[in-house]
Amino acid sequence: MYDSNAAKKLAEGRALDATDQEVIVKAVEDGIETAWDRLADQQPQCGFGQLGVCCNRCAMGPCRIEPFGKKPVRGVCGANADLIVARNILDDLSTGAAAHSDHGREVLQVLLETAEGKTQGYQITDETKLKAIAKEYGIKTEKRKKEEIAKDLARAMLEEYGTLKNRIQLADRAPPKTKEIWEKTGIVPRSVDREIVESMHRIHMGVGADYVNILLHAMRTSLSDGWGGSMMATEGSDILFGTPTPLRSRTNLATLRKDMINIVLHGHNPILSEMIVKAAEDPGLKKQATEKGAKGINIVGMCCTGNELLMRHGIPIAGSFLDQELAIATGSVEVMVIDYQCIFPSIPQTAACYHTRIVSTSEKAKVPGATHMEFRPETAIDTAKEIVRLAIVNYPNRNPDRVRIPAKPIDIMAGFSEEAIRKALGGTYKPLIDAIVAGKIKGAVGIVGCNNPKIKQDYGHVTLAKELIKRDILVVETGCAAIASGKAGLLVPEATDMASDGLKSICKALGIPPVLHMGSCVDCSRILMLAANIAKELGVGIGDLPIGGAAPEWYSQKAVSIGTYFVSSGVYVVLGIPPKIFGSPNVINLLAAQLTGLVNASFAVEPDPVKAADLLEAEINRKRKALGI
Amino acid sequence: MKTVFVRPELCIGCRHCEIACAIEHAESRRLFDAIHEEKKSLPRVHVEVGVNYLTFPNRCRHCDPAPCMQVCPTEALYRDRETGSVVVDYNRCIGCAVCAMACPFGIIHFQRVHQLDTDREVNAKCDNCIERQKNGKIPACAEACKTGALEFGDADDLIRVSRKDFTLRMIKSEGTDVEVPKIPANVRGYRAILEEMANL
Repeated sequence: MYDSNAAKKLAEGRALDATDQEVIVKAVEDGIETAWDRLADQQPQCGFGQLGVCCNRCAMGPCRIEPFGKKPVRGVCGANADLIVARNILDDLSTGAAAHSDHGREVLQVLLETAEGKTQGYQITDETKLKAIAKEYGIKTEKRKKEEIAKDLARAMLEEYGTLKNRIQLADRAPPKTKEIWEKTGIVPRSVDREIVESMHRIHMGVGADYVNILLHAMRTSLSDGWGGSMMATEGSDILFGTPTPLRSRTNLATLRKDMINIVLHGHNPILSEMIVKAAEDPGLKKQATEKGAKGINIVGMCCTGNELLMRHGIPIAGSFLDQELAIATGSVEVMVIDYQCIFPSIPQTAACYHTRIVSTSEKAKVPGATHMEFRPETAIDTAKEIVRLAIVNYPNRNPDRVRIPAKPIDIMAGFSEEAIRKALGGTYKPLIDAIVAGKIKGAVGIVGCNNPKIKQDYGHVTLAKELIKRDILVVETGCAAIASGKAGLLVPEATDMASDGLKSICKALGIPPVLHMGSCVDCSRILMLAANIAKELGVGIGDLPIGGAAPEWYSQKAVSIGTYFVSSGVYVVLGIPPKIFGSPNVINLLAAQLTGLVNASFAVEPDPVKAADLLEAEINRKRKALGI
Repeated sequence: MKTVFVRPELCIGCRHCEIACAIEHAESRRLFDAIHEEKKSLPRVHVEVGVNYLTFPNRCRHCDPAPCMQVCPTEALYRDRETGSVVVDYNRCIGCAVCAMACPFGIIHFQRVHQLDTDREVNAKCDNCIERQKNGKIPACAEACKTGALEFGDADDLIRVSRKDFTLRMIKSEGTDVEVPKIPANVRGYRAILEEMANL
């Protein structure tokens, strides 16, 4: 029998945010299956898999290593626990790097086609950035039309995916000392696709058997993502849609509207979502919406494509990874548009419990049960309009008796690109560096990553962010972590009241929040650039800076790549969810200790966000001491 | 007395025992065919999650005297003399579930079985793999278990390991640091993280 108190208690255990809890209760009442239910159904999860000692690569297997010191100690091929764990983690990492980089490739292809005049609805928005990056690539900019420059630049960047140069241009942005470390360690990324292909080669049976060598290649592959594919995704998107500047918006599930047609844009690539935002401005479609009895069309974002729209246009963001099913469970969503990455394959089943239509748009990401309306740059606006029309037509199918939307959205501030932060500081990082040297700000931490039903949604992100700003540590965020802070009210200047005095005084003087939203998950590259530019101004490497990183609630293979490119660039990273490496004490030792000797940074695992803050503070103090401040 | 002894500290929740059990009791006894059989064979050993994501592979203890045998009104439950196992005569079982009420371990479950022509659900609890035992093999669950969480052998021999553990603790005063079986540091570390996550 349904017990409302039990449902409430369940919801409190699943999510930190009250609006999320409210909709979780509704989902339970409506009998909607969510990721939390599926995690419970999966218990117990296989210990061999959790420890990373399960190998299912070849047809001699599947094999597993006994973790208590008995037999078998080797797979059929002879691989031991170290090798199996290392190959598995390289597999995860290169999958994540591929996801980011393929996203970047698509952005650059649209840039190229736009420059060639072949696309519909796109334009070159940030000419300054276009020219600046063109200069880095040695492309002539004087007396040339922006389309001509863009054509050359897009080609030059696309060429780097399979380049024969043995180097990636954007990786040159790293401080000299950091690049020296990469060279010494042998992890300079040589091209984007090559490192990923080589990863796939290396995890084949009988290639490498040395776990250290495999993990060094994992580091190189991650750098080809952070300083390659992801950075190209960020820069290409900025050129096409504009470099973000600080702006205000709102977040949480209350951004869905009772009296409007709700379209949720879920996924990662702004190529699609930007056009839907444009299409929804069409007067004809707006008129059609009111004719159906709606007050208008309400576009909200979800996950990282939501972050992209929030950063550039202030489009409200309904939630993060674990909110995708909850948004539908409000009963108020006409259409959820998906592109790719982090979309639950079961989302059409969730939608089928209501009137919601799921529209898949990428040829790469077809989902059974979804309506497929394939998105092509040449016909982007036409398809976008068609999708908006579908939402309008679907509005009368909404059952008002089944709608429950939480009452209050939360105000947020976003749009802190590296350029915007630098501008806020007066064009140079000197004021920030002075504040760090003076000890007003001890350092900075990037909190990034996903949600994972294994930890109460947003608890890890929000507790860690609050804990750090209490200790004079500035926080920068991307992805689901930033959305979590938004929901918790940390992304507004008023949140400085939660910060300690030193950080508070600096934030108040600059009019910025103590937690800065820097964008989507590919925009972790903005954090790299922030660190690189500060390090260059100081004349040190990234590994010398009093900074850290954290992924308190990560789940995705992309997070494996992000965490590794931060560590490889010199940033200590604390993971809130244990990676699948515990079956190999040698791999743990390498990642948690020995790496410090190579790149002056390592990994740690700590689920408790307060203890994670202790670790990060200790690392910041270690690096402050080394700098003599 | 031979038994399948459970060492829960060695169970890592992989459920190999469940799969091996289901295959052993399927009509085909082959994985790829078993999954397509009309009367699906369900595992008779159950890997349950306890607190902090620790697991326990629970199966019939083949008690003697067996409470289930004592209460069965149709004498469907009987003892196999050779192996000492408590087994079910599916034809006699009337599905009253009184055995399940009497079972101290909650391991009895009902399902359709290929041995019967009808669709009746009967007590299809663990039969201790008596057919395998009579052919000189050990029960399928214990054979499948790679970590030794399920170990088949003479009960006294298996208990001796635990006794030795206690003795070592007493005479060396090393408290819980001495463990037989020993849990490696990396696995202990991982479990500590799971425990921390469960308590957040």
